[in-house]
Amino acid sequence: MKRDTKMKLSDSKFGLLISLPGIIFLFLIVIVPLGMLVVTSVLRYDFLHPIEFIGLQNFYDAVSSRLFWLALQNTIAYTIGVTVLTLAIGLILALANSRIRTLSGLFRTLLILPWAVPAVVSGLVFRWMLDPGVGLINYTLMQVGLLREPINIFGDPSLAMISTIWGYVWTAYPFMFILVLAGIEAIPRELYEAAKVDGARLIHSFRHITLPLARKSILVGVLITSMFSFRTIDTIWSMTRGGPARATYVMGFNLLEYLIDYQNIGLASAVAIIMLLLIMIYALPLMYYVTKE
Amino acid sequence: MKTDISPYIVLVIFVSILLSPIILITFNSFKNTSETFGWPPTIVPKEFSLEAYYDVVNSYVPLTLRNSIIISVGTMVVVLAFSIFTAYGISKYKFRGSRQLSFAILTTRIIPPLSLIVPFYILMGWLGITDTFLCIILLETYMNYPLMVWTLKGFFDDFPQDLIDSALVDGCSRTNAFLRVVLPVSAVALAAAAIITFLWTWNEFIYAMIFLSTPDVQPVTVGIFQFVGDEVIEWNSLSAVAVFTSIPAIIFFIVAQKYIISGLLRGAVKR
Repeated sequence: MKRDTKMKLSDSKFGLLISLPGIIFLFLIVIVPLGMLVVTSVLRYDFLHPIEFIGLQNFYDAVSSRLFWLALQNTIAYTIGVTVLTLAIGLILALANSRIRTLSGLFRTLLILPWAVPAVVSGLVFRWMLDPGVGLINYTLMQVGLLREPINIFGDPSLAMISTIWGYVWTAYPFMFILVLAGIEAIPRELYEAAKVDGARLIHSFRHITLPLARKSILVGVLITSMFSFRTIDTIWSMTRGGPARATYVMGFNLLEYLIDYQNIGLASAVAIIMLLLIMIYALPLMYYVTKE
Repeated sequence: MKTDISPYIVLVIFVSILLSPIILITFNSFKNTSETFGWPPTIVPKEFSLEAYYDVVNSYVPLTLRNSIIISVGTMVVVLAFSIFTAYGISKYKFRGSRQLSFAILTTRIIPPLSLIVPFYILMGWLGITDTFLCIILLETYMNYPLMVWTLKGFFDDFPQDLIDSALVDGCSRTNAFLRVVLPVSAVALAAAAIITFLWTWNEFIYAMIFLSTPDVQPVTVGIFQFVGDEVIEWNSLSAVAVFTSIPAIIFFIVAQKYIISGLLRGAVKR
């Protein structure tokens, strides 16, 4: 009591004081590096020439490269593929799980387990299953007569892209499933009962009750999944390293190639900033819209 | 009333497809080398063998597993130490700009961690701390702190103010009320936040791969690649590492499912 009266801070000052250490840390590790990134993006900084200001030259060089546009195209395909598949699986599972009582907890536990597998390991697991020499998927397809001989899935540009998408979807769908399930379970059961009495069919109650009322969770799920797949290269790293013939070369690889292989900090910074701007143009309006709801 | 069995059919089909990789990779880890490379591929090992586990135990993998534990526990402690106080301050003692601040913390999640790799690359070089636990724990803390602030803020928002007030009336200081009343009651939420941070850090790969170059500090997500050669991949050993890598998370998910899920939903949906 004595101590309290002696150094009595107002409540709001107390709040600021205890929030501060974390906020200072975040400032040092996010804002300072962001500032550095902006600075290095306008410098010639490649360990070959003296560091000098070159204006927007790095940005010009980055977007004049054919690789940039290839990477952008692949990134968009990858992001859309992951998001659509993740949403489809998450939605189907959430709908099915919300319609049962017995064993629903068991199914939920089983279905979220792939979440536990690191994305980079998921990539290796599917690389094994899809392998032409030892993989069970090729073998199964041959057994059922769909294939005459094993195909090298990672040698085919579109099959390789689909495989890397699937490797990531497998670790991403549980989150979508849980999120949408929570959204659906928050819908009052009476609504469905009333719809049933009115003779509405399943598809109608899905369109007119489930979709509109669980919309927020679905949107949040789509936002998070797409943002994460845009920037995650773990499964691609472990499955194809961007190949074959750069068919799965996404923007992260473009950035790392400039940074690690060419040691060109300036050029890598420009790609980093372009990635950041692209994601902001996409995510900020969606985030604003979701928080507004 | 007749039970509709169609949802069960859908769920059983999906569970069998989606869980088969986990089961198959576990079986594969018990095959000997000739069987793992044989054609036609087998599902259940014809001959149960611990060869792969023997190889794994005699490789760098135990070292990288230890590193994974050090990095994940270290990050967990640092993230919690920062985020508990930030979340509590923002939630219970609103100050000028606290609303904007909490939103700003959340928006840092938009920044692709890959973009910040460039300045981190320079900074860690300047500080001379590449290839250290300190370096990777700092980076993992940056990745987890914002989400944990939101998860815990959502929890503290729902925390009954009466409980805090009565402690204050009884003569507790604000700090003591927090430490002696709020924290013990919040133990479950804190445990959930701790587990989530642990798992996210355990699963992280790219930062570890870029900033750690020796097995002395690399986590197991990087260590697993020693079985991936240019010519040959040692599939059975790799499977054994995959099993090791996924075990902690699978245990956590089975045991603490409810809390992990509610924690994650809080961070994601509650705004």
